[in-house]
Amino acid sequence: MTAVIRSPLSVTYAVWRALFLREAVFRLSGRRVAWLWLLAEPISHVAFITLFFEIARVRVTPGADPGMFIMTGLLGFFMTRNTALRSMEAIKANSALFAYRQVKPVDTVIVRAALEGFLGLIVALIMLSGAALAGFTIVPYHPLEVLTAFTGLWTAGLGLGLILSVVGELLPDIANVAKLLFVPLYFVSGLMIPVEFVPHPYREWMFYNPILHGVEIMRGGFFPLYHVVPEADLSVLYGFSLITVFLGLALHVRYARKIIAQ
Amino acid sequence: MIVVNDVYKRYRTDHGPGKWVLQGINLRIPPKINVGLVGRNGAGKSTLLRLIGGNDTPTRGTVERRCRVSWPMGFAGGLQGSLTGRQNARFICRIHGHESDMAERIAQIEDFCEIGDAFDEPVKTYSSGMRSRLQFGMSLAFDFDVYISDEVTSTGDAAFRDKALAAFRKLTDRAGLIMVSHAENTLTQFCKAGILLHDGQAHWFDDIGDTLKAYKTTLAAS
Repeated sequence: MTAVIRSPLSVTYAVWRALFLREAVFRLSGRRVAWLWLLAEPISHVAFITLFFEIARVRVTPGADPGMFIMTGLLGFFMTRNTALRSMEAIKANSALFAYRQVKPVDTVIVRAALEGFLGLIVALIMLSGAALAGFTIVPYHPLEVLTAFTGLWTAGLGLGLILSVVGELLPDIANVAKLLFVPLYFVSGLMIPVEFVPHPYREWMFYNPILHGVEIMRGGFFPLYHVVPEADLSVLYGFSLITVFLGLALHVRYARKIIAQ
Repeated sequence: MIVVNDVYKRYRTDHGPGKWVLQGINLRIPPKINVGLVGRNGAGKSTLLRLIGGNDTPTRGTVERRCRVSWPMGFAGGLQGSLTGRQNARFICRIHGHESDMAERIAQIEDFCEIGDAFDEPVKTYSSGMRSRLQFGMSLAFDFDVYISDEVTSTGDAAFRDKALAAFRKLTDRAGLIMVSHAENTLTQFCKAGILLHDGQAHWFDDIGDTLKAYKTTLAAS
């Protein structure tokens, strides 16, 4: 028998790989047409808001087609929201796996966030392809800027997920509050109305929301004629991400024993 | 070699920390030796096994594993109901670093547990007997230096029990074993040394016969 003791890094890599494949199978085939629901949510949101704009004859998205304006905002917002909320529940959903000492709570959270980011990217590509078939220009004006903002939105979701997963284990009510809080965030992340039309001082208040920074910069990178308000700053989003990821990891280090112990 | 260093354990309950289950356990379990773990119900046998297997963490103290230790065989967790037996087995292979020879190991598991087409059905449709077959098959598929087993030989129907016992015997020839059982003949058959858990303390005996004798005295005393 070869008594090879694997290094901690190789164990972690093996666990991440195994968890990712397992989560992907479960997410895409766990329920009937589970993959369809991934697309159905963002598409229905875009359809509803566009329809509303059409009926109300609103033409308030300078520099961008209303449909594309809504789609880019929603894809960015859903990236943060889905990553945060799905990875928040990772520990509870995988508690059976802590029977294997190789699997740590933080592994399940990180892997879920990665899977959610990956799926968000695929959903975005499918929706943009759909828009291309309908005759819209879908190639971003500044592709790198769009990707940077998109990545920042994902990292913010990861940070929130890391924190909420631990807090939700220790105080289960907080998880419900977090879910509720994403509803008002939907309305103050500039998804429906350009933040340019929000008057002072409300606009300054809205920019306390890091998601709005990401969404705004992402649109600026997407549409050549879109006017980005000067308050929008990617460093706010990335600063927020950095702090939450560090805080989340610290919480995991501090409470990992308590979460596994019964 | 497994070193249990001054381990204390108590569980969290809904109203604060519970009673101490283990109080200052010190053990050095040498490799390649079969050890029986005895004690009355609630003495902390399963708790100690879970701590050795790394499924749970001690409240105080440390457990060092200087070899490959299995997860507790016959342990009820570790299977996800919505995934099939094969998917669960694959997951176990992957986290144990057997990506390259996964096919053989899966075949070995499938062959051992003899649950037929159910291997490709979700685990939540399994009966408890089928579950324990799968779990037992999975734990045999890897080359651990020490196996830990919690009443595993008492599961399944007569045919499977014989098969499990035979597999167990073969396994104890090449690797160490730490087992919990209430069946005296199983213990004397498999184990050389013994550990008696009593009042939160562990007592090591080089001979399983002495362990059982001491165990009976503790039972009589209370």
